[in-house]
Amino acid sequence: MKRKKKIILYVILSVLVIAGAAAIYIYKEYNRAHKDTAKLKADYTVNATNFVNEFTGNEQAANKKYWDKIIHVDGFVKSVDKDDRGFYSIIIGDTASMSSVRCSMDSIHNNEAATVKPGSMIGMKGICSGFNADELLGSDVILVRCVIDQKK
Amino acid sequence: MKNKFLIITVAVLISSSSFGQKYFTKTGKINFDATTASSPEKIEGINRTATCVVDTKTGNMQFALLMKGFEFERALMEEHFNENYVESHKFPKAEFKGAISNNEAVNYSKDGAYIIKVKGKLTMHGETKDVETDGKLVIQNGKITATADFNVLLADFKVSIPGLVADKVAKTAKISVTCSLEPLKG
Repeated sequence: MKRKKKIILYVILSVLVIAGAAAIYIYKEYNRAHKDTAKLKADYTVNATNFVNEFTGNEQAANKKYWDKIIHVDGFVKSVDKDDRGFYSIIIGDTASMSSVRCSMDSIHNNEAATVKPGSMIGMKGICSGFNADELLGSDVILVRCVIDQKK
Repeated sequence: MKNKFLIITVAVLISSSSFGQKYFTKTGKINFDATTASSPEKIEGINRTATCVVDTKTGNMQFALLMKGFEFERALMEEHFNENYVESHKFPKAEFKGAISNNEAVNYSKDGAYIIKVKGKLTMHGETKDVETDGKLVIQNGKITATADFNVLLADFKVSIPGLVADKVAKTAKISVTCSLEPLKG
């Protein structure tokens, strides 16, 4: 009799522990924040001009390779755009070309872009969201959640 | 005298036809909101990297954006949006091609606010549907701010919502567009 009670107690306890663990897991997963790009390791390190050329040459293949991957890109800062809400985009690439790599800054790291000077060399890290092909405006590779990443 | 007049006329014609005809941005903002009254929290994402071109002469308007560029506050929500709902790995782009149907009512060379009607085709998740909406153009100092709000029925674009969360996610998403357009040189 005593033994039976003990078994029931153990069963109830273990069910509670499992339910508790599941609840903690769900809660944590639900509230999970985005990983800070600054702390992520780059999957690919590329040069801006070559990177754009790869997309222009074969968008499908380049998308397959780079889409949703963390990219470190080195290049020449063509311009630094600030939008009406204060968000920065750093545009990297070859000044002779209409096409660029557009790096949309991560909101946490946005202010770091304030000191970036057009005409300088820069290293940026961000997540590749794809290629926006446009004959009129120039085709761009877009990186989102970007941070300045000077060391390789 | 006659010659001089001709030269001026030609010069004016050339400058008015080649200058300030197209306006564009590469940092257009598109907001996606599928929050309902029964949602436990805001289901909202923003894309800040949309491209938009407006031809002031014809009223033609074009938008393009990358689905993966939508940023949500919660990482899990962003993953679900990309993986389960819009399947952005399969359909990475969305675009809108249309025109301002009352373009003649807008005086692009004069500062002011104009209510516009926009009609066109929206392509998302591999599906193309007609979209019609009212929008606003504010012209100030040679720049145009374009805003519009419209609703899309997610089922129209074959975006399915799992039964488990069917009452937590709106069946129509509210799309808000804000673009600050600059004249395209060249």
